[in-house]
Amino acid sequence: MTKTGELSNIPYDDLVVDQRFGPYDEVVTAHLASRLAGPIGAPTVASFAPPAVYPVLFLRALRRAMGGIPAGSILAKQELEFVRELPVDSPVAVTTWVGAKEIKRDRPFVTIEFEIRDAEDQVILTGRKVIVWPTGPGEQA
Amino acid sequence: MTPELNEFTAITDTVTQERIDTYAELSTDFNPLHVDPEAAAASEFGGIIAHGPIALHAFFRAITGWLGVDALPAGSTVSVAYRAPTRPDDEVTCELREMTEIEPGKFELSAECLTQDGTVVVSVRATVTVPEAA
Repeated sequence: MTKTGELSNIPYDDLVVDQRFGPYDEVVTAHLASRLAGPIGAPTVASFAPPAVYPVLFLRALRRAMGGIPAGSILAKQELEFVRELPVDSPVAVTTWVGAKEIKRDRPFVTIEFEIRDAEDQVILTGRKVIVWPTGPGEQA
Repeated sequence: MTPELNEFTAITDTVTQERIDTYAELSTDFNPLHVDPEAAAASEFGGIIAHGPIALHAFFRAITGWLGVDALPAGSTVSVAYRAPTRPDDEVTCELREMTEIEPGKFELSAECLTQDGTVVVSVRATVTVPEAA
């Protein structure tokens, strides 16, 4: 099944630095953790959220915040800072925002920040994605 | 006990369309470049490419395997540069390049994920603290 109607087409000019989206509630279920602890999709027992869970939570938050990563964008970098280990079946809240917009070597780079907190409002992880945006200043999607 | 450097085992993941579809379901990222062969064929990539983090997966498996943990310990950091896309049937292997113990129990390392033809698809720099019980 193909689901292609949900892509973002937010132009670069419409991205507002520091505008916050969320927090979005998610649960790091045993099902999610187990499918990312070993080979993707192969159930592997995990008691704590494996690191591969967090890029997935980033993508879910992006979907909810701005319809996902725009078609034609290129993921250039990703950074993760692990603050606390998270047991599986824990609820979390994901907040995301545009951290920076800049033109480098004639290409539009957008940094999208993420913060994930647990049910006690403790930070679990911070991170960011640097994306080469498909549109630049003055361009429409 | 501190894990030994020579216990860092290279991990190889095979990229398959089934795994890409699973990742799309888990992440809700159904970008046609990943899941729609016709749209992907018409793109600049000429065919399906995997979500970026799929190329990183072998690193996560290798580092957690080396540490003997599910989750990366608190205080760990991971910085990733995505160099090239991966495609169905690619074999992605994570190999350790350097590791330095910067303080007791805390390691700084670099690693690369390569496809079967030697193309570096992901470069990683990380800092990890070995859990006391490891």
